[in-house]
Amino acid sequence: MSDLRFLSIKEIHDGFDEKKFTPTDLVNELLSAIDKSETNSVLRPLKDRSLEQAKMGDQILKTQGKVPRSETPLFGIPIGVKDLLTIDGVETTCASKMLEGYIPPYTSTAVKRLESAGAISIAKLNMDEFAMGSSNENSAYGPVKHPTHPDHVPGGSSGGSAAAVREGLCTVALGTDTGGSIRLPASFCGVVGIKPTYGRVSRYGLVAFASSLDQIGPLSRSVEDSVRVLDVMAGHDPRDSTSAPLLKGNWLKSLSGAESLKGLKIGVPSEYMGEGLTDGVRNSVDAAFEWLRSQGATIKTMSLPHTDYAVATYYIVAVSEASSNLSRFDGVRFGKRPKSADQVDKLEDFYKTVRANFGAEVKRRIILGTYSLSSGYYDAYYKRACQVRNLIKQDFDHAFKEVDVIMGPVSPNTAFRIGEKSADPLQMYLNDIMTIPASLAGLPAMSLPCGADEKGLPIGLQIIGKHFEEEMLFSVASAFETSKLGEEK
Amino acid sequence: MTEKISEDTTRKVANLARLALTDAEVTAFTKDLGDILEYVEKLSEVNVNGVEAIVHPIQLSIPLREDEAAEPELNSDGQPRVLDSAPEVLYEGYKVPPIL
Repeated sequence: MSDLRFLSIKEIHDGFDEKKFTPTDLVNELLSAIDKSETNSVLRPLKDRSLEQAKMGDQILKTQGKVPRSETPLFGIPIGVKDLLTIDGVETTCASKMLEGYIPPYTSTAVKRLESAGAISIAKLNMDEFAMGSSNENSAYGPVKHPTHPDHVPGGSSGGSAAAVREGLCTVALGTDTGGSIRLPASFCGVVGIKPTYGRVSRYGLVAFASSLDQIGPLSRSVEDSVRVLDVMAGHDPRDSTSAPLLKGNWLKSLSGAESLKGLKIGVPSEYMGEGLTDGVRNSVDAAFEWLRSQGATIKTMSLPHTDYAVATYYIVAVSEASSNLSRFDGVRFGKRPKSADQVDKLEDFYKTVRANFGAEVKRRIILGTYSLSSGYYDAYYKRACQVRNLIKQDFDHAFKEVDVIMGPVSPNTAFRIGEKSADPLQMYLNDIMTIPASLAGLPAMSLPCGADEKGLPIGLQIIGKHFEEEMLFSVASAFETSKLGEEK
Repeated sequence: MTEKISEDTTRKVANLARLALTDAEVTAFTKDLGDILEYVEKLSEVNVNGVEAIVHPIQLSIPLREDEAAEPELNSDGQPRVLDSAPEVLYEGYKVPPIL
């Protein structure tokens, strides 16, 4: 039964209906795979909790005979949860020493909705500390290794989510994307990853990094599985005032074949296809465009003129918000307080003793954020970055008057070696150059596997859509999947 | 728009953020921050005259509701559950060293 690990949601439900296996069989299979995994993608398997949920599923199947799909569309589906999302009674560390042992008393809306729809939370997944990183080397619990090339990084910050999906440790994983943290690891690991429109999924119970950018989304081995999960997770939540009070379309119906590509207008920003691309990435993405053209889509080269300023803008906006968000870690209400903090005689020394639990990248960003918000520098940095952010957003507004979707690579390169970029933070930040613009503009975007380079490292095609028009993304993505270009040889 | 960042500046800003840095961290961060700020300097090339600064990607109105307190969820000892996450608790509050 070893192939249970790689089944889709639909195949799992059919298997339940046909009594080939039960939710408990499936969960046991995955728990044993988690046990054997060597990537460090899982921080904590939720053994007892998931087996208990599975047992309830077994009972329901026994009495009802088949999967109650309409009430519980994710019945018995094992999901992995990035350790930035809370689950009541389950340790949540954000891969930081700061929150070691923290047991939240509430469940994030995203996870709650999935579990109410029958999903089983099988593991808390590794990540860059507080989601700060592009390689998953910044976890306080050790880096995640690439699932097929163990001396390479899986991408970050949702590296554990991407690797776990690729390895078959869960059917779908939840990640979060602030500047590319779902799309980049999805691209590096060869899986599908969706960052929904800002406001589509409630952030309640998501530990905040940069609140105007953070968004929760799924990673999976097929477009359909991600769409099924997002369909359940999306929607307004009174507990997050930035979650949009909008109705969404029927996303599952938007999944379609190649015929939907006829007449589709695709914009390709010349800034995303410039000199920095490796040959492998350029060739795969060009091949994808060629196939799309052969199916009747039009490819139009266009310009997003402020792209070159996106990384600089992002690293001011995101770190400024982070320095403010992370001020809550004061060692009073939650988190770890070292014994030595009780022996100091000044309040500021108390805080400093507690906050020594942050890792290097987190400290670096807090300092940069504090600097850019400090008196005398605010106008030059934060305010200016917010103005340039508006120009970047306007670039997209103009572009979408002429095209239906925008496409390009997710990253200029494939996964790099562990340690290759960790000594130079700026080089690491520049890796996000193609994912950051859509984040700053709040647009929905996804990564789709579109081939591999000469070393066999996966390449991701990025599709960016208009605000709250996820249907278009899903229709194009499912059509592209039929090209089989994403299947590695 | 900036002068080169000095080790003193790094120390001063770290203190504002209540972060204690070792001398080695001060040296390393001063270089990193200098590199990053030099890169960020490119934003000064952009003409932002008359451009509105946005702090959010999507314009949403702020929903209002009555300010009603909810009953706290209690743990098995009859204490608010939220206190279970605290490093130290005394009676129904957070326990902190005398300096606070």
